[in-house]
Amino acid sequence: MLKILIPTLMLFPTTWLVTPKWLWTTTTAQALIIATTSLTLLNWNSETGWTSSNPYLGTDPLSTPLLVLTCWLLPLMILASQNHISSEPISRQRTYITLLTSLQLFLIMAFGATEIILFYIMFEATLIPTLIIITRWGNQTERLNAGTYFLFYTLAGSLPLLVALLILQKELGSLSMLIIQYMQPAPLCTWADKIWWAACLIAFLVKMPLYGAHLWLPKAHVEAPIAGSMVLAAVLLKLGGYGMMRMIIMLEPTSKDLAYPFIILALWGIIMTGSICLRQTDLKSLIAYSSVSHMGLVVAGILIQTPWGFTGAIILMIAHGLASSALFCLANTNYERLHSRTLLLARGMQAVLPLMATWWFIANLANLALPPLPNLMGELVIITSMFNWSSWTIILTGGGTLITASYSLYMYLMTQRGPVSTSIMAIEPSHTREHLLMALHLIPIILLMLKPELMWGWCF
Amino acid sequence: MASRLVRILPAWSRFRLGSVAGARFVSQTPSPAAAGSPTVSGLSPAEHNDDHGHVEVSLYEKNRDFHGFHKDPQVDVWNMKVAFFFGISVAIVIGGTFVHYLPDHGMRQWARREAERLIKKREAEGVAVLDGNYYDPSKIILPSAGEEK
Repeated sequence: MLKILIPTLMLFPTTWLVTPKWLWTTTTAQALIIATTSLTLLNWNSETGWTSSNPYLGTDPLSTPLLVLTCWLLPLMILASQNHISSEPISRQRTYITLLTSLQLFLIMAFGATEIILFYIMFEATLIPTLIIITRWGNQTERLNAGTYFLFYTLAGSLPLLVALLILQKELGSLSMLIIQYMQPAPLCTWADKIWWAACLIAFLVKMPLYGAHLWLPKAHVEAPIAGSMVLAAVLLKLGGYGMMRMIIMLEPTSKDLAYPFIILALWGIIMTGSICLRQTDLKSLIAYSSVSHMGLVVAGILIQTPWGFTGAIILMIAHGLASSALFCLANTNYERLHSRTLLLARGMQAVLPLMATWWFIANLANLALPPLPNLMGELVIITSMFNWSSWTIILTGGGTLITASYSLYMYLMTQRGPVSTSIMAIEPSHTREHLLMALHLIPIILLMLKPELMWGWCF
Repeated sequence: MASRLVRILPAWSRFRLGSVAGARFVSQTPSPAAAGSPTVSGLSPAEHNDDHGHVEVSLYEKNRDFHGFHKDPQVDVWNMKVAFFFGISVAIVIGGTFVHYLPDHGMRQWARREAERLIKKREAEGVAVLDGNYYDPSKIILPSAGEEK
């Protein structure tokens, strides 16, 4: 862990001491080196879980893919922000990169934490840089509203979690995940116990987001600048999934009954948010609702607590992280040229920017879960597991798959096909930077097809 | 919802004006003669979105080989080289090779081989392939019912 934490910490002096001309070059290079180093974490050659050299920071097959995804995303965020931030004064550029780096640091410590309280503190800590990025560098006036929704939804969910963790600490004496995995889960009989159960999970359900508590997501994703959208979609949502998987292991057996309303909400959310996607006029909003839809499937997969459910959840989290971030980058390439997110304004882009159309195509195919990409594999594993849990879910999950395909195709056809919009007379050609950004998103998804066992977690 | 309509309406009005006047909406080059077509002038000054009073000039004008990284051509080329080298050559190629050659992830292939080996061995011995008891029940010594501590 230290070989990743220390270079990330040293990214702070790099950002502030390097000459302005070479700021983005050096930070990109350092972040990519950190990403390469993080690949060493994928080494898991025992059949038991945790790998740790000390009691406080360790990795296991659940946190490792998410850690690698986090480390991979920082250079991509830097690449994506380079253009729109370059017009600002240099100290503000450095501040921006510092915020991204601090977010990265908190996320690495969150995924690597073995104590649940450290995970909680880092979970909360990630809110602050994200809030600053959204409210300071967002482009529309709605960003203040978006920041407020984001902050207070997450806080309202996570303060009960703090109380629940303190109760757990008092009961069990320790909150180390290394120890708790061996403890007997206590039967939860009283009403207070049931509320404690809910308090453990609500923070993560809001973060994922679960359908009923999802309102912060479209606002935050849309109003955030590109780096904010990328990190929100790719990693911060997965913090919720990760937290849920950690907590839910020690929460059963009551979970079997208490989880019902949340599973139903999650499944219904897939259909509802998918349908909302078909009616969107705002491109980023469409991608944001698509994130809610995919995460609904992940929530359902986690809440049924079966091995395949967990495995499918991890696979879908990683694959969705890369695909969704890729789509936001593509939407940003449109936004930087047209300064609008309206779908109507960016029609027929394939005739104007044919190379970018290739990336649009592949990213949308990934989003609609085309085989053999891991997006499909994750969805299929979750759908199968849910079918085993209850045959009726196939109606909702099958319908959800259909709607996902519809809105992904809709997004592709609306932006790439059709007559070129007459309002776009002079568009800059695609930058090499943008092509590299898309390649660095989509090549890992394709490579993951070749070695999917990295994402299968400890259950499969 | 209303804010979204408000955002779309100016675009629609630009749409109609554009088809009539045939003017450029995005790139506003300062010299119309070089562009060869009328520029947008004074239609809606609020929408120019200038930085410090300059018009939006494409960086391709000054640097035909702009890669999208930096306006200084030398830094731009170096940034591109560094990003591609560390991103593709190091991270994806070398990193990918490293990941490919990692040993048996989670010992899944070992588990399969071990299971096949044990099945073969047990079938050769004539023993049941799988037994419900992990420990041999005949070897477990239980205290008798009458004993108390």
